[in-house]
Amino acid sequence: MKYAFFQGCNIPIRIKQYATSTEAVLNTFGVELEVVPDFNCCGYPARNVDEKAYLLPSVRNMAIAEKMGLDIAVICNCCFASLQKAKSVMAGNSSLQDELNGFLSKESLQYSGKVQIKHFLTVLYEDIGIEQIKSRLVNRIKDLNISVIHGCHILRPREITSFDDSFVPRITDELVQLTGVTSLDWRGKLECCGAALAGINTELSHKLLQEKISGAEAAGANYITPVCSYCHLQFDTTQKTLHAADPAGKLLPVLLYPQLLGLCLGIDEQLLGIHQNSTIGIEDIQHLKSLLGPPGEEKKKAKKKAAAAA
Amino acid sequence: MNTNTLTMLLGLSVSICLVGLIIRLAIWFSQGIRPSLSAPSSPLSAVNRIGAATHGILRVIFSSKSLLVLKSFFVDLLFQKRIFDKSYLRWAAHTLIFTGFILLFFMHALGSIVSQAIFSDYYPTLNPFLFLRDFFGVMVLVGLGIAIYRRISLKPQRMRTSAGDWAAIGFIGVIILSGMLLEGAKISSFTIYQNMVDEYASLDEEEGRALEAFWVQENGVVSPNIAGPIDPELVARGREVNSDSCITCHASNRTAFASFAMATITRPFAAVVGDFKATTMLWYLHIIACLSFLAWLPFSKMFHMLAAPVSLITKRVTGDEIDEPANVLTAQMVGLSACTHCGTCSLECSSNMFYETFQNDFILPSEKVQYLKKFAAGKERDPAIIKRMQQGLYVCTSCDRCTTVCPSGINLKQLFVSARYSLLESGTPETTMLSHFSFPLALAQNFVDDHIKALKKVTDLFKKNFQHLADLSAPLTLGKTTGLENNTYKSCYSCQRCTNVCPVVRSYDNPVEALGMLPHQIMFSLGIGNTDLAMGAQMIWSCSTCYLCQEHCPNQVQLCDIFYNLKNSAINKMEAAASS
Repeated sequence: MKYAFFQGCNIPIRIKQYATSTEAVLNTFGVELEVVPDFNCCGYPARNVDEKAYLLPSVRNMAIAEKMGLDIAVICNCCFASLQKAKSVMAGNSSLQDELNGFLSKESLQYSGKVQIKHFLTVLYEDIGIEQIKSRLVNRIKDLNISVIHGCHILRPREITSFDDSFVPRITDELVQLTGVTSLDWRGKLECCGAALAGINTELSHKLLQEKISGAEAAGANYITPVCSYCHLQFDTTQKTLHAADPAGKLLPVLLYPQLLGLCLGIDEQLLGIHQNSTIGIEDIQHLKSLLGPPGEEKKKAKKKAAAAA
Repeated sequence: MNTNTLTMLLGLSVSICLVGLIIRLAIWFSQGIRPSLSAPSSPLSAVNRIGAATHGILRVIFSSKSLLVLKSFFVDLLFQKRIFDKSYLRWAAHTLIFTGFILLFFMHALGSIVSQAIFSDYYPTLNPFLFLRDFFGVMVLVGLGIAIYRRISLKPQRMRTSAGDWAAIGFIGVIILSGMLLEGAKISSFTIYQNMVDEYASLDEEEGRALEAFWVQENGVVSPNIAGPIDPELVARGREVNSDSCITCHASNRTAFASFAMATITRPFAAVVGDFKATTMLWYLHIIACLSFLAWLPFSKMFHMLAAPVSLITKRVTGDEIDEPANVLTAQMVGLSACTHCGTCSLECSSNMFYETFQNDFILPSEKVQYLKKFAAGKERDPAIIKRMQQGLYVCTSCDRCTTVCPSGINLKQLFVSARYSLLESGTPETTMLSHFSFPLALAQNFVDDHIKALKKVTDLFKKNFQHLADLSAPLTLGKTTGLENNTYKSCYSCQRCTNVCPVVRSYDNPVEALGMLPHQIMFSLGIGNTDLAMGAQMIWSCSTCYLCQEHCPNQVQLCDIFYNLKNSAINKMEAAASS
C-alpha cells in the first residue's frame, strides 16, 4: 500500500519528528509514504481572507496526487480538513471545479475527484487494523496516563471530515490504549488549542491553551498527545513561551502518537525523534523506556481494571 | 590590430567595474531592512558594520570554523551542491556555464598571464589549447541552451524572467559566439595565412604553392589563387611542408571544431567585406562584448559571481544564526546582491497557489527580493506598490522552503520577516494579518511589539468601517441579507446552544462587551437582514474555528462556515473602503 504523503507547511520545518515517526510506524506495516515535493500549502491559512484562495491549493494538491495515481495520507488536521473540504465543495459545485481547473490546466494538471484523503490515524485504524497492530507489538507501556487532544478539524464539521463520531470519537482512544497506556477522559479532549487565534488575538489563544494544559494536568496526565500539527506547536512551543513568562509549575510534555506506538513496536527512539519534542527531557525519555514491558502482561491487568471499574 | 585602442577600452571597462564594485560594497555596509522598534538605540554606521564584519571574519578564521570555510569552498562553491540537490538539469546548466566560462577566462582571456605561467609550452594555436578553447566555449553554449529551455518551459510554473535575465544569457552567448566566429573568420582568412607564412616560414615558390593547397584543403583557408579541385599530389607535398614548417606551432584548424564549423558562416561575410576587415570587425565585436560584460557585471545579477560565494560561506559557517545586529543587516545586503533571479524559491514556494488567486507577483519570493533591493536603497516608495508588497510578504506560510532551497544560500526568511514589519510600520493596515498566516509569526515570538502595533492598525480600521451593536441608537431595521454564500442561518431558532458551547464566549467575564455580539445574536442579525452589524462583531475575529457551535446546532446552522463568509466579506469591505 502506498500513499502520497501530505506533510503541509509546519511539519517539514518545525515538526520533522512527526513525519519521520509516522513513516517509521507505517513502514512497519508495509505502508509506504511517498514525499511529494510538488505539494503546496493546503490553503488553510488564507481561509479568513478568501474562500477561493483557500480551496484552490487543496484542489491542486489532489490533482497532483491524481496524476501520480495515489491517494493522500495526511498528518495535520487542518490540512486534512482543507483537503476534505475542497473535495466536498468540488463535488457539489461543478462550475467552481471548472474555474479552478482553469488555473491548473496551465501546469497540465486536472482535478476530477478521484483521490481519497486519509488521516494517518485512519490508515492505522482501517487499513491496518487494531488486531494487526497488536500482533506486532513488542512492548507495552504500563502505568502511564495520556491526555489526547483530538484537535477540532479532524472531527468537525463531521459531514466534511468523516473521520469518526464527532461527539464520542473512539478511533484515537482505541489506538492509544492498545499500547497499554490509559487515555484519560478529560475536559479538553475534543476542544480547541487556540492555535487559530495566534497572532490575531494572541491573548485569547494563550488562554485557550492554558485552559487545556491545566485541564490535562488536573486529570492526571503524564503526557499530552496532540493529533494536529497546530495543537502540537501550541503545546510544544507556545507552552514554553507561557512557561517562560510564568515559570511556576512544570511543563506538560508532549508525546506524539506515532512516537508512543513506535516505542511499543520496538522502533529506536532516535528514529522516532522523541528528543526533538522540546517539552521532553532526557529523564522523561528514560522514564518512558523504563515503563516498557512485554506485551502479554497487560491483558490480565486490563481485565483486572475492567473488573475494578465494574 | 590597435593595441592602444585595446588598452584604452580595457582601462575604461576595468574602471567602470571597479567603481561598480565599490558601490556594491558600500551598499553591503550601509543599507539594511529592519523595523524601527527592533533597531538599537544608536544607529549603526558603515564603520561599525565593517568593524563587526571584520571581527566576525577574524573569529571564524582563528577557530575550527575555518575548516567549514574550506569545506564550503569545495562543496558549495566549486561543486554547487545546493543546486545539485534540487535539480540535476539546473546543476548541469550552471556547471557547464560556470566551468566553461571560468576556464576560458583563465586559459584564454588571461592566456598570456596564467596559461604561460603554468604551461611552458603554451601556445594558443597548439593542442590541447586550440581544441580546449572551443570545447569550453561549447560547454558554455550548451549550458546557456539548458538555461533558456528551463526559463521557457517553467513559465507555466510561475517562473519569472526579467530583461536582466535575458541580458545575462545574451551577453555570455554573444561573448562565446563572437569568439567562435572570430576564430572561424581567422581560419578562412588568406591575409592571416599569408602573414603567418611570411613571419614564420621561409619557403620557395613550389613549397609555398604546396603549403597553400594543403591549408586550403585541410585547414579551411580561402585562397584567391585556388579554385576548383586541387591536385592530391600537391596537397601531399603541402602536408610535408606543413610538417616541416608549421606543425610545431600550429595544430590542425579542424581541432578547433566549433570555430572550424563557424567558418562556413563567416566565409560569405568575408567574401563581401574582405577577409581582413571581417576579422577586424569580429575582433571588435568579441572584445567589446567581453569588456562591456566586465563593466556591466557589478551592476547586474552577474555580481552573484562575488556575492553568492560570500553568502554561501556565511550560511555554512553561521547556519543562519547571526547574533550581532550589524552583521544581520550586512548579511541581508550580501544576500540581496547574491540573488540570481533563478526562480527556484518561487517554483518551490508553498504559497504559489495564492499567487494564482491574488494575482500578486510579490507573493513569489523571487519577485519580493527584486523589490527589496530597491526598498533597501530607499527607492520605489509608491504606496500602491508598497500595499501589494505588504500583501505579498504577509501571504506566506512560513514554511521556509525558499530559504532551504535558495542556491545562493540567502536567508530569505529573515529578510522577509524584517521587511514585513518594516513595511507594515509605515504602510497601510494589512488585512491579511487577520488570517492564520499570523500563526507561525506568533509562534516564533520575533518582532512581537511590531506585530502588535501593525495589528492594532487593522483592528482600528475594522472598528472604523463597521457599526457596532452597542453604538446603535436607532432601532434595528428589517432587511434582506445578501451576498452571503451560506444561508443556513435562516434555520436558526435562537435556542442559544451555539453560544452556550462556545469556548470563546466562556473565556470572558463579560462576553458581550468583549465580543460585540454572541454567536446566536449574529445569526439573528443575519436573519433580520443586518449583515453589516454581523460583520462588525468582534466575535467573528475571536472565533477559534473549533466548529463546536456548528456541530451542536440542532437545526444544522453552519455557524463557523458563516463566520468565515463574514470574515471574507468584512475584509473585502475594508479593502474596498481603503482603495476608494
